Amino acid sequence: MRDSRPFVGAKREWTHTALACAALLLLATIQASAADTRRVLLLHAFGHPYSPWSDMAGSFRAELVKKSPEPIDLYEVSLDTARVQNPQDEGPFVEYIRALLAGRKLDLIVPAGAPAAFFMQRHRGELFPAAPMLIVGADLRRIPGAALTDNDTGVLLDLDLPAYLKNILQLLPETTDVAVVVGNSPVERYWTSELRRDFQPFADRVKIEWFNDLTYNEMLLRAASMPQHSAIFWFLLSEDAAGVTYAQDRALEGLREVSAVPVFAMGDYEFGRGIIGGPLMQTQALGQEAAAVALRILKGETPGAIDPPPVVFGAPMYDWRELRRWNISESRLPPDAIVQFREPSGWEQYRWQIALIAAVLAAQTFLIVYVLIQSRRRRAAEAEATEQRQEVAHLMRVSVLGELSGTIAHEINQPLTAILSNAQAALHLLAQKSPDLEEVRDAINDIVHEDNRAGDVIARVRNLLRKGEQKSKQVDLDELVTSTIALLNSELIRRRIEVETDLAGRLPATFGDPVQLQQVLLNLFMNAMDAMASTAQPQRRIKVSTRALDGGAVEVRIRDRGTGIGRKSQAQLFKPFYTSKTHGLGLGLTICSTIAQAHGGKLGLVNHPDRGAVAVLSLPVQEFLAAAK
Amino acid sequence: MTDGMFTIFLVDDDAGVLKALSRLLRAKGYEVRPFASAEEFLEGHDSAVAGCAVFDVAMPRLDGLALQQIFTASGNQRPVIFLTGKGDIPKSVRAIKAGAIDFLTKPVRDKNFLDAIARAEEVDARTRQTSADLAAIQAKITTLTPREREVLTHVIAGRLNKQIAGDLGTVEKTIKVHRGRMMEKLGVHTVVDLVRLAEKAGIAAHGK
Repeated sequence: MRDSRPFVGAKREWTHTALACAALLLLATIQASAADTRRVLLLHAFGHPYSPWSDMAGSFRAELVKKSPEPIDLYEVSLDTARVQNPQDEGPFVEYIRALLAGRKLDLIVPAGAPAAFFMQRHRGELFPAAPMLIVGADLRRIPGAALTDNDTGVLLDLDLPAYLKNILQLLPETTDVAVVVGNSPVERYWTSELRRDFQPFADRVKIEWFNDLTYNEMLLRAASMPQHSAIFWFLLSEDAAGVTYAQDRALEGLREVSAVPVFAMGDYEFGRGIIGGPLMQTQALGQEAAAVALRILKGETPGAIDPPPVVFGAPMYDWRELRRWNISESRLPPDAIVQFREPSGWEQYRWQIALIAAVLAAQTFLIVYVLIQSRRRRAAEAEATEQRQEVAHLMRVSVLGELSGTIAHEINQPLTAILSNAQAALHLLAQKSPDLEEVRDAINDIVHEDNRAGDVIARVRNLLRKGEQKSKQVDLDELVTSTIALLNSELIRRRIEVETDLAGRLPATFGDPVQLQQVLLNLFMNAMDAMASTAQPQRRIKVSTRALDGGAVEVRIRDRGTGIGRKSQAQLFKPFYTSKTHGLGLGLTICSTIAQAHGGKLGLVNHPDRGAVAVLSLPVQEFLAAAK
Repeated sequence: MTDGMFTIFLVDDDAGVLKALSRLLRAKGYEVRPFASAEEFLEGHDSAVAGCAVFDVAMPRLDGLALQQIFTASGNQRPVIFLTGKGDIPKSVRAIKAGAIDFLTKPVRDKNFLDAIARAEEVDARTRQTSADLAAIQAKITTLTPREREVLTHVIAGRLNKQIAGDLGTVEKTIKVHRGRMMEKLGVHTVVDLVRLAEKAGIAAHGK
């Protein structure tokens, strides 16, 4: 409807103007000699600005001027006779037209609408008996074919009035009331009766209320208070019951604003002004069609020979905004419906951006979820690994203690021996005539002491056998070394190994699980002992030294005089299941290293330049650890 | 020679055990000399004192069995009792073969321990008696003149005075005098006693 042709036309006009400016004289000559200028009289019966005639005329005018090869000299006359209730004398109007076109040959008369056509039919003889006539926009039922002469033709309308009502009922099946807005001028009264007749068949289905007897204000009041399941059909309001005129259907918008119910209307000129839509009178198409016919007549064709088909409804058109507003599903629209003013949804407007953002979000979400799952899995795996590491560490401790069982038994046996002998000594003393009670007390004190000693050994062993939960506390490395040597005492004697200690004393405390750390020392001692199996006895010495290092760490070095580390072994020392022993699992150093690392320290093993190997365990001191945290 | 009380030389590297055993033995009236290591014992041992030695088997550096070897190799005849943390049969056999009185397992019951000590006391007394007798004989022998000693070897070889005189290129009467003095100095009255004494003193008969 709103095509770009006016713009093309404007462009062409602009081109003409440019040409005119370029060759003014020549152009003037051409125009002066333009004897073939066409004179067209466009006649309105109802006042210039009234719909729908003004809309048809506008379309016709624009199309004619644009398409005509010759210049069009257009006379547009608005008689307003149709608004006069009872035209007693049309004489002055006739005189006016005559005066307007005095002496000029008229090439075409175009009455817009039935009232204008009737006027022209009445006065053509006296005004322009020879001029051909093209009736535009009158309804077929108003201008029967018989009323036309050879010099007449018409681009007429064939309004299917029931279609309007059907459309309303199709879209809103629950509708019980329809108010028809129609004015009270003669032409509107005609249409009121036409509508009444054509709507009659729907009487049992829907109650029709006629506004033709109401003033516009009454119409507004009524529209505002329409019951539910009602609709308003705006047909035509040029003049209300009070005789007030309403140009260009401006009144429609006022009513539409207050209306409590959906508003339907007759013509395409009302489309986009708050009506829902449906089958619409095609004023634009009509004007264009009429212009085409007019051009043919102006070329010389006999009007009577041109019999253009009446203009009917085009494809039904709907205003998307109104459908939305009244919550009418598009599924209710006829299949050939055209929905206009569709507000592109955010999705339609920014489809690619949204798609892209959604894709990015989805990717991000996926990544986050993936990372979360991975991190959870990793945490679970880490927990499992920790658990397994503890399990293995525990098993290694059990294994080491198994190896040391004889030694441990001996370590417990010694205090038991002392206890038994002390007890028996005490008994013997008491059996004497005058027992030395001082000595008896000493014996009993020693029993207590020795019992504690045995208890310590058992506690140490039980600690090492303890499973699972790590208990971190302050650890004095010197104390740990001493306690480890004590645990190994018998084993060292059995293997004829001497231990030389060089402890720093007053070392800053480190922080960790004493059991695990003792396990490390135990393991390192056992390694040192194993390494010296083939060392001659006087050389079978292990030297243990502790010291504080710069940078918040303490260190224990355990040096043996054994076989040292083979070149091949060096790289594999800390790898699991690597062993140079005939009966080793190959997990000892791996676990020791893991424990050292878990405590923030490290374990190293190197050959001593003289002989044997040195194991170096360094651990961060507590203050340093605390600071690091 | 068996002067003073029966003394027990106790060697154990475990201070607690050493102290407890010492206390037990003292309660039973023994003199105890405790040592914390084999080395200390070897330094502080007095073979003149009557008594026995108690060695712990498992000791650093020099263990009990090694100590026994060194100890006996130096001519010491003091009875030795072993204490061990665990019953080790090969070790105990070795120890007994080397002359140990007993091989006891810790913790040791006082009865077993004291019985072993008592046995050691007997052995020690016997040994000491034997050595004392020998020493007396040796002392008597040293009082003999070379001629008397020569006559002795001939007498215990079963020779008659006449034969001895012939062997030594003298007269029977002279031999008779030497023989009388020799028998007197040695405190024996019969040839049988003389032979037994010579045997104890390790004096070989002439020509043997």
